[in-house]
Amino acid sequence: MMKDFYEELIENDLNPYLLFDSNGKVKSYNKEAEFLLNFVSIRELFELAVSNASINFGFNQKYISLKYNKQSYYAILVGYANEDEIALRLYKVVSNYTTTINNNKLKMVNIFSLIDLSKNSTLLQSDLIIDELYDISIPEMKININDFLLCLNSCFEYFKDDKKISLQVQIKIGEYEVIENKKYKIVALSFIADKKVVIDSALEQKASKANANIFFNQNELLIELPIIM
Amino acid sequence: MEKFITHSEASKKILNIAQMSSSLPVNVLIIGELGVGKTILSKHILHDSPIFDARVLEDMIIKNNFNKDEYSELIILNIDYALNKQEFMEKLNGIKIVATTSQSLYEIDTLFAIKIDIPPLSERPEDLKELIEVYIEKANKIYNAEVELKDIKIDLTQNGISLKKVIYKTVSSISMDDNEMMDSLEYFISKKLEENKEYRDLLKYFEIPLLKAAKEQYKSQLQMATRLNINRITLRKKLELYSKDLA
Repeated sequence: MMKDFYEELIENDLNPYLLFDSNGKVKSYNKEAEFLLNFVSIRELFELAVSNASINFGFNQKYISLKYNKQSYYAILVGYANEDEIALRLYKVVSNYTTTINNNKLKMVNIFSLIDLSKNSTLLQSDLIIDELYDISIPEMKININDFLLCLNSCFEYFKDDKKISLQVQIKIGEYEVIENKKYKIVALSFIADKKVVIDSALEQKASKANANIFFNQNELLIELPIIM
Repeated sequence: MEKFITHSEASKKILNIAQMSSSLPVNVLIIGELGVGKTILSKHILHDSPIFDARVLEDMIIKNNFNKDEYSELIILNIDYALNKQEFMEKLNGIKIVATTSQSLYEIDTLFAIKIDIPPLSERPEDLKELIEVYIEKANKIYNAEVELKDIKIDLTQNGISLKKVIYKTVSSISMDDNEMMDSLEYFISKKLEENKEYRDLLKYFEIPLLKAAKEQYKSQLQMATRLNINRITLRKKLELYSKDLA
């Protein structure tokens, strides 16, 4: 009875948990780990566990900053009780994703006008070439213009000294963002560069103020904005 | 309203940004050297808004002589001269601001969603050419002259300001007839006499331009002495006396 309870506890934990065998095969995992495996390979997580295991049998905690897709983690726990099994638990950073919308600051606007404005003002003295692919069917939407422009400016500033990037703006098919129990379609701005993209927390905060989420993966910087009408 | 010259690609883009910013509820910061056209551009964004110098407005706010509720938008010139920029901007919160500055302002950077950096005139040759033509045409009209670009030594130390000044001055002096020149000199000398200047002090105002012009025209001292019909020793003495001014 007690064992079942612990298993249930792990299964429903908000933090991902995985148990590997000595060859790196997953023996068991919880719901959060199943979700995490959509964005990171089993091999990568196994290597993370092995490289952070304690020298002797036991548990090893380590504060480490990790980011897989939209989720960040601040620590891991590696459990190593015998030669055949090794367990990994990742600890989530409390999400700062948009959960409320301040309607007072929103104004109906064409998103492409704001992109053009930000691009032209930030890159006035830059030689950056931008391959643009815009879904012009995106309707006018309510945006916090000031904060969104500040966020966009920082993005263009980040690529200012590059030779070329591509920028795609489109509506994400089949994906929605739920804010205050309302479902919103999402418009995604994807900047793709020839360099590895790494953004700082200041840019994340700027995006958050503009009701947007910002992610980076390899050479892509992605801004997702709910389409509020 | 004075027009922002847009003959270069950069200034076309700048005007386009200004026009797009005009209808948006965001603050705009215009950055650029003295005389690049910041004030003119600010009027393209906020057409009929009151204009304040930052130091004057800051002083008004401190002395409670400024009623924020009376304004929905403002042009503020030389915001880099405000003493406490952050507090200054906080007091104006809620008003759409278009401000000008000669340098980037990192401490209030996030309060301006749009920043327009105007390059100096020397980096915008197409605009410079147009501006020179406009100023020469206007000056020629005022002074009834026919001065050409080759007659003018362009001065871009203060961009449009120094350019305008040098063109108007050149056209004005070239277009003067003998009487106007003497009137002008008389006025100048009267002012100097008020400063108790003596004959010897004032002589340089005649001699330096004369020697400069002769040096430019005749090149050698021998030629100068011959053409001006003065003794070569006297000429050499004069040239030595004014050597600094003639260099």
